[in-house]
Amino acid sequence: MRKSFLAENPSVLWFIAILAVFTLVVTLLSEVTGVGLISTSFVKTLGKTLCLCLVAIAMDVVWGYCGILSLGHFAFFGIGGYAIGMWLMYARTEGIVIESFAGQPIPPTPQEVSDAIGNQIFGVVGSSEFPLIWGFADSLFLQLLMVVLVPGLLALVFGWLAFRSRVTGVYLSILTQAMTLALALYLFQNDSGLRGNNGLSGLQNIPGFEDASQASISIVFFIASAVALAAGYVFFAWIVSGKMGSVIKGIRDNEARVRFLGYHVESYKLFVFTTTAVVAGIAGALYYPQAGIINPGEIAPIASIYLAVWVAIGGRGRLYGAVIGAAFVSLLSSWFTGGGAPDINLGFYVIQWTDWWLVLLGFSFVAVTLFFPKGIGGLFDLLVRKQS
Amino acid sequence: MLRLLSLALSMCLILPASLQAQTLQDILQTHQDEVLSPGRQSVGVVLDDLVASGLPQALPFLEAWRDREIVQRDSDGLFFRAIEEDDAITLVDLDTGTTITVANDDGLTEARPNGGVRRAIGDALVQFQLSDPDITKRQAAVDAIARSMDASQLGPLQASIAGEPDPSLKDTKERLAGMLAVLFGETQEVRIAAIAGMADDLSVDVRAVLNTVLSTQPQVAVALPDDANVAQVLTIGADLTAQEAYDRLVAAELAPALVTSAQIRDALVANIEGGMVGGVPVSALNTDAARAEAYDALAGQGLVAPRVTPEAQEAAIAAHVFYLQYDEPDPVITDAAEQALAAVETRVAVSQGIDLGLDALSLASIYFLAAIGLAITFGVMGVINMAHGEFIMMGAYTGFVVQQFVPDYTLSIIIALPLAFAITFGAGVAMERLVIRHLYHRPLETLLATFGISIALQQLAKNIFGTQARPLTSPEWLDGALVFNDVIAISYIRIAIFVLALLFLGLILFVLKRTRLGLEVRAVTQNPGMAASMGINPDKINMLTFGLGSGIAGIAGVAIGLYAKVTSEMGADYIVQSFMTVVVGGVGNVWGTLAGASLIGFLQKGIEWLNPSNTLAAQTYMILFIILFIQFRPKGIVALKGRAAAD
Repeated sequence: MRKSFLAENPSVLWFIAILAVFTLVVTLLSEVTGVGLISTSFVKTLGKTLCLCLVAIAMDVVWGYCGILSLGHFAFFGIGGYAIGMWLMYARTEGIVIESFAGQPIPPTPQEVSDAIGNQIFGVVGSSEFPLIWGFADSLFLQLLMVVLVPGLLALVFGWLAFRSRVTGVYLSILTQAMTLALALYLFQNDSGLRGNNGLSGLQNIPGFEDASQASISIVFFIASAVALAAGYVFFAWIVSGKMGSVIKGIRDNEARVRFLGYHVESYKLFVFTTTAVVAGIAGALYYPQAGIINPGEIAPIASIYLAVWVAIGGRGRLYGAVIGAAFVSLLSSWFTGGGAPDINLGFYVIQWTDWWLVLLGFSFVAVTLFFPKGIGGLFDLLVRKQS
Repeated sequence: MLRLLSLALSMCLILPASLQAQTLQDILQTHQDEVLSPGRQSVGVVLDDLVASGLPQALPFLEAWRDREIVQRDSDGLFFRAIEEDDAITLVDLDTGTTITVANDDGLTEARPNGGVRRAIGDALVQFQLSDPDITKRQAAVDAIARSMDASQLGPLQASIAGEPDPSLKDTKERLAGMLAVLFGETQEVRIAAIAGMADDLSVDVRAVLNTVLSTQPQVAVALPDDANVAQVLTIGADLTAQEAYDRLVAAELAPALVTSAQIRDALVANIEGGMVGGVPVSALNTDAARAEAYDALAGQGLVAPRVTPEAQEAAIAAHVFYLQYDEPDPVITDAAEQALAAVETRVAVSQGIDLGLDALSLASIYFLAAIGLAITFGVMGVINMAHGEFIMMGAYTGFVVQQFVPDYTLSIIIALPLAFAITFGAGVAMERLVIRHLYHRPLETLLATFGISIALQQLAKNIFGTQARPLTSPEWLDGALVFNDVIAISYIRIAIFVLALLFLGLILFVLKRTRLGLEVRAVTQNPGMAASMGINPDKINMLTFGLGSGIAGIAGVAIGLYAKVTSEMGADYIVQSFMTVVVGGVGNVWGTLAGASLIGFLQKGIEWLNPSNTLAAQTYMILFIILFIQFRPKGIVALKGRAAAD
């Protein structure tokens, strides 16, 4: 089975080859090699886009293949970001605090160090106590475990509750959206223990690599994101191929029939929901060190809906479609909203794309849903059909 | 006291008009000596006459007299108000206000009332203000007393009650006099009677007065004193922590202060000698235990004050008794106040419960209005309309635009309601024809397509109307609130929204149950295929239903805009709650939506009441509750039965 997997799915090899070439080109043209054609900030943008592609393929698997329109996967993405952000912020603050104690006549006690770190981190929300959830923040290993465990467990519990009581279709979508909203509202509180709407910041500084330049850090994260995307792509391509993939697609097309055939539908859905949530968390953990800051606004329900929009525009039910959609729409979006697009002067009115981009996106999304249900990925079908 | 009473009586008996011939100067001339050098006894006669005269100029005279600005001209014995300037003195005639300027104070004798007399004058002034013919001045005087209560005000206030012509101000005065009597009554009986009179008043100021009587001070002593009016003896552990108890001992100078870790640190830093402190190397001072050891060593050398050991702390705490002592020394009065306060608080709690119920009811009616349109489209067509919130927003902006052209608020609302319905009805029909019709049987894609419309509409509104909130002003007759008592009050806008919600409930029930359209809508809901074969055109019904649901959202938008601000994001604020309402209530049923809205409204208010400081947390808990609720009743409170219930 595994031997024939890649042979049966030539698109996986194609994808990895393209991704590898892309990564190599970007690395060679970046500031690290001295060429400098691609600026550090653009390398970060590309690295972030790769992470968004990763969460988009997770979304594609759960929605495009399994038929669960989850409006909560960006929340898992955010949780991953928070988990790694806690360690980044703690370790960096600890370094600064210990440095400041070095000039003192007597060495600090552990309590004094912890108080000083707490003051640094939670001063903005009027507190200096470490909340319980920061208990593992001093250990990179444990926080990396959290990146996987917290989204995974949340998805497991939520999915178990939802699938067990046969909540399906739009009800499930609304329910996942409610979960996302609850999480975002919780994080917005100052006493949530995660600095309220200030969020976690300074994440672009990696503790232990204070001397490394942002240019090299950004390239390392870019390559790591590419590797994660490739691994995620292979993993999900493997999952959705073969017998298990058939069951998952069967659930999408007719859940009741698959159940009547004797499959335990709930377990399959729970597996897909949880695995994709874990991958979303990993993508978030790679994304936010490149973004430098995470706050509850990132988790708001709208973000998860945009995720669905990317996948729909790229083309559901094919992994490269999700990648194309996420890359295309998110890059286009930052081009338009960042003021890159030229304003259109109609004579009586000037269309400023910072204002009108969302209108365009909204309506083009409607158009894609109505006229191109297969999305941009559907164009490949036309190409393939012509050749054959 | 008696004098003031008689004074007040004379005030209201004598008609001011009959005394117009008399001038202030005449009265003063008859009491020359008393004005010039009044004694505490003799001043009463002058005050009585002044009050009895009812002259308007008596009030400024009293103020000037109290402030030592009255002088007598020695040549003719006339009194003036003297205003000293840089190098001259201006004499103001007390009756006419004409001024004479003199170079210096030769030939003038200053009236010098002493402290006691000035207090008496002050009382008379209050008396004057409280009995002023102008009601706004009387009101101002009463307000001033209520702001800063003082024992001296009780007499004048009580004296002025009998002569008060305005019934509502008289009530206020009586209440205020009661509160003053509670605090400053002369005898125990007077105060207890006053306290008893407060037991059926719910206002915040009455509770504040009772709490003032019951105010306590934390005390600490070796043994409980016999003469103190003790409110409560505090037990360590339950009422206060050992740490707090010891801090109190330190504050009362009954125990030595603890040496804080910062002090230890400073002491150690100050005593570093050759890399060692008290025999401990500096590099080892990175734990509290090592620091304590070094500090104890320093203390042993007599360099620093010794630490207070935990045993000594415990012993010091055990040797003392901690208690709360009433500021009021009389236990009979504090007992009476305790009882009265308990009675008041029970009634306040009941009233608050009712008030909370009213709040919840009005919130429920807002949710009902926001969600009922959604429930109709969702229930009949199985279509989730994510742009529903934007229809609410469109309705609100319609109201705003109408108000720009029609300045009369009542008229503009009357125009805005049907106009909002028409506009959102049209938008809904257009959306159904252009988008939703092509996506039937693909509910998830409908959800996303309508979401795309929602993004676009929201941004459009932002581009047209800007990001700042726009006001939708309610007509004047909707301002204010219906006040039942000091606790229970509900604003008229909320009542109007409640009435509107009831109206729509009735209207929708009527349309669905009693009209041909309703019959066809119900038929399509239950079985579209069978309905079509019976000659009903499901396309038309779907279009009309969608338009109806959207139109109701528009009207809800006007109503919500009246009580909240109109912004481009207002729809998004209500959309999740609306979905919750529909899902919790049960799809496709008006009563279900009503039940869902009530549940969510009451739940949200209930959680806010339990945790009033944090509305974000309240919303979080509510959503979690709803997620759990769906686990147990996935089809909502009112579930459809039979074939219609199938997905």
